[in-house]
Amino acid sequence: MSDENEEALEALQKALAAEHAAVYGYGVVGGRIREGRRAEAKAAYDAHRARRDTLVRQVKDLGGTPVAASAAYALPFPVPDSAAAVRLAAELEDRIAGVYSDLVRAAEGGRRGTAAEALREAAVRAVRWRGESVAFPGLAERAATASPTMSPTG
Amino acid sequence: MPYPPPPRTPSGPRRRSLLASAAGAALLVGCSSGGGSTEEGSAGSPSVVERARARAARDSQGLIERYDAVLAAYPTLAERVGPLRAEAVRHAEAFGETVATASPTASPTASPASPSPSATVPGTERDALAGLAAAERALADRRAKTLLDVPGELARLLASVAAAGAAHAFLLTEGVS
Repeated sequence: MSDENEEALEALQKALAAEHAAVYGYGVVGGRIREGRRAEAKAAYDAHRARRDTLVRQVKDLGGTPVAASAAYALPFPVPDSAAAVRLAAELEDRIAGVYSDLVRAAEGGRRGTAAEALREAAVRAVRWRGESVAFPGLAERAATASPTMSPTG
Repeated sequence: MPYPPPPRTPSGPRRRSLLASAAGAALLVGCSSGGGSTEEGSAGSPSVVERARARAARDSQGLIERYDAVLAAYPTLAERVGPLRAEAVRHAEAFGETVATASPTASPTASPASPSPSATVPGTERDALAGLAAAERALADRRAKTLLDVPGELARLLASVAAAGAAHAFLLTEGVS
């Protein structure tokens, strides 16, 4: 396998791991978010499932074994109510934007195009949830403030 | 592919953090590892990269001028539109343009000589916002194509800025009023 494909495969796997987490996270979001925004959360959940399936195919196309989802994930903060659910959704989209920006860099052609599209969708969903934009979605090094580091549990 | 339902909660190492997986840590490290200039030197012709950068900077500059024209005509939109203009300035700067940092409420008489189409501002606030949104969206679409033909680091920046543009378009038309 060429270096280029190897890099692309690694970035695809990271994106896939993040999409697994997003699908799980939106399951939590859906259970806590208020009625008025539930359809939005469901649409995002479906979108991430579709992206996840696309990434699974892309990993296989490059001869890789798609990373599996964890059975459970530790949430970055407690999500007792709708406001926290909205914050979690925004966080999930930020995280997703980050992995896709790296995939854009690592991949070329169709895979890069798809990644850029996914980044764009994540950025738009993030502003839907948050109500305000950031200058450079997915570019942690250009963010005004670094996002807090979550430590794995267990 | 089969997807395990969330409720089955194991303990121990299978339980991963949602946001700080190994991939997340690698993401933060990875951002600082690849120097853009070296990559652009080897992976793509410098002139191609330079041209794409210059074009992207000009495009952002054009957008800023549109924002300025709208803000001059409708100063009451400053609160809503000003932050988006500020981000467009950061975009232009990221592509290498030095932007005159006029405040969003700056006088419109800065460049009266150029009768560019962007100088004409629609007759209502609503139409002005829609016009800005359309411009943001069109530029984001164009950048989505450009990024396919440039080296990785610039492609990543273009993708992020295009995503920001699409988000701006959303805020300009459907966002909070």
